Amino acid sequence: MNTKLLSILAGAAVSISAVASAQQVASAPSQAPPAAAPQGAANPGGPIRWEKTYAAIESGPWKGKRLADGQPDVEGHWSNTIANHNNWTDPQAGEPGRKPPKTARSERAPSRVTDPADGQVPFQPWAREVQQDFQHNFDNPTKPEYIEPLARCAPAGVPKSFIWHGYEIRQYPGYVLILFNSGTRIIHLDGKPHLPENIKLWNADSRGHWEGNTLVVDVTNNNSKARFGRTGEFASDKVHITERYIFDNDGKRYNYVATFDDPTVYTRTWTATIPAKRRTVEDEQDGWHWEGEVANRPGKPPLAEFYERVCVENNNAFGNVAVAPTTSVR
Amino acid sequence: MNLHAVIAARPSAAPAKAAVKTAFAALVATTFLLAAGAARAAGDKLPRLSNGKPDFSGIWQTTSAADFDLEPHAGRKDAPPSAGVVEGNAIPYLPAALEQKKKNFEARTTADPRLKCYTLGTPRGIYYPEPFQIFQRERDLTLVFQFGHSVRTIHTNGTLHPEVTDNEFWLGDSRAKWQGDTLVVDVTDFVEDTWLDRAGNFHSTALHVVEKWKLLDANTIDYTATLEDPKVFSKPWTINVQLHRHREKNFQLIEDYCFTQDYDQYYPYPAKGTTQR
Repeated sequence: MNTKLLSILAGAAVSISAVASAQQVASAPSQAPPAAAPQGAANPGGPIRWEKTYAAIESGPWKGKRLADGQPDVEGHWSNTIANHNNWTDPQAGEPGRKPPKTARSERAPSRVTDPADGQVPFQPWAREVQQDFQHNFDNPTKPEYIEPLARCAPAGVPKSFIWHGYEIRQYPGYVLILFNSGTRIIHLDGKPHLPENIKLWNADSRGHWEGNTLVVDVTNNNSKARFGRTGEFASDKVHITERYIFDNDGKRYNYVATFDDPTVYTRTWTATIPAKRRTVEDEQDGWHWEGEVANRPGKPPLAEFYERVCVENNNAFGNVAVAPTTSVR
Repeated sequence: MNLHAVIAARPSAAPAKAAVKTAFAALVATTFLLAAGAARAAGDKLPRLSNGKPDFSGIWQTTSAADFDLEPHAGRKDAPPSAGVVEGNAIPYLPAALEQKKKNFEARTTADPRLKCYTLGTPRGIYYPEPFQIFQRERDLTLVFQFGHSVRTIHTNGTLHPEVTDNEFWLGDSRAKWQGDTLVVDVTDFVEDTWLDRAGNFHSTALHVVEKWKLLDANTIDYTATLEDPKVFSKPWTINVQLHRHREKNFQLIEDYCFTQDYDQYYPYPAKGTTQR
């Protein structure tokens, strides 16, 4: 395995108890059945673990398990390893406008923007203003558009879904399905063409193929209503995203590497990287990365499964938080 | 074996009458064999997983009017006419529940949970007049409904319902077994918030559904569901619909998170001038 450290810091899993993160967990929409999601519990299943560093994974041949149709077998439960969606370019700094981080920038995970090297989205000046405007108004929204759509149960979209809760990958001949906490993506490997251009979707339209250990997905038809994070980074509905899900041959990690091409918003094409780690029944349920259940099959080894996820049907508490974030949920 | 082969096998030297008789017998026999063969061929043509179980993968939709009203009804402004899909025609409501159903019916243009794009429930999602896609593995079937893009998993790996029985799922908890080529699904643990159709037919959290899924041919599913709910119905009752495979060129589901439509207007994709508004 050819890997290199992206950060000079040796990475061990760390627990953070930043106020923003705790509130984030408390205010997550109740995707689990109501009985299983105690309201107001800051950390229902234990600490959220974030890593400060991650290793690159090279694209190359797949030496791991394969499914009957020849696809690399990457089925199962996954979650990102460095931080949630509070902050796109300084992932472990928390949400801007809340508590300033106590650590130096070099002690936190690198920006998700891995090209250009400065870690910033190469916005055109007007677009930078739009991003800053959202960021400054997120905490005290005075207009509906400052409330992130995810707070209203809209899918987190591409790419934010990968830094929201844990998610599940299921594979079939001709398809890869990704079941996110908010929304589901059907990635076609079946050679069918993209949908007509004027159909714009929360989770866009995905056409993929495998190149060795890498799932390459062409993503168009994005309605681009979902921001990348609470810091307000965005694309237009003309964005063309090329995703590369590069899986480590040990089957335990993959890196999501996506290029964003949108001349109407950016000065150049840029790349985002989101590291992810497999979660299994061996992992402790933590209300974030791993929220699965152990199937009921007495006398047999533990098997992970996921209960149904709904959101809009029981979203009152989270919506209230998003409208008035400085007041108590109760 | 084919018809020509059978006739060609007839002894050509036989007298004419006998030849006709023989040919007729051969034809009868052949017709019988052909019919049996055709039945086998149809059986053999059913799509199957590598473990031999029928493969329901594909995009399906009913052509029935079940979602408008499960029971027989004449045409009305909000529903095309239909002889209904309920065995025995009438849903056997308990008296108090029948009153509630009548109230629901009166309020149907505003009270149907589908109008908020809420998850349709089981069995309603199956006969709702929009496509849904089945993705099938040995361990489960994943149903993705175009309406609301909701996701239902039917477990076929021998697992049991969760030990906790009051999770209250919108789609229920689905555990299935194979009876020959029929998939029998036991569905329990429901919320009480879904309706069974646009006419206000409803259920409580005590709903228990047993579904039977059977491929009639490669492109048709025979679907029955038996509904039991001692708080609402006096006895179990059964519906039957057929589901047809979408075979149009390049047909595919289009995600429809319809619950976003009320606030879509607030999120024009960011464009030049957004901050000047």
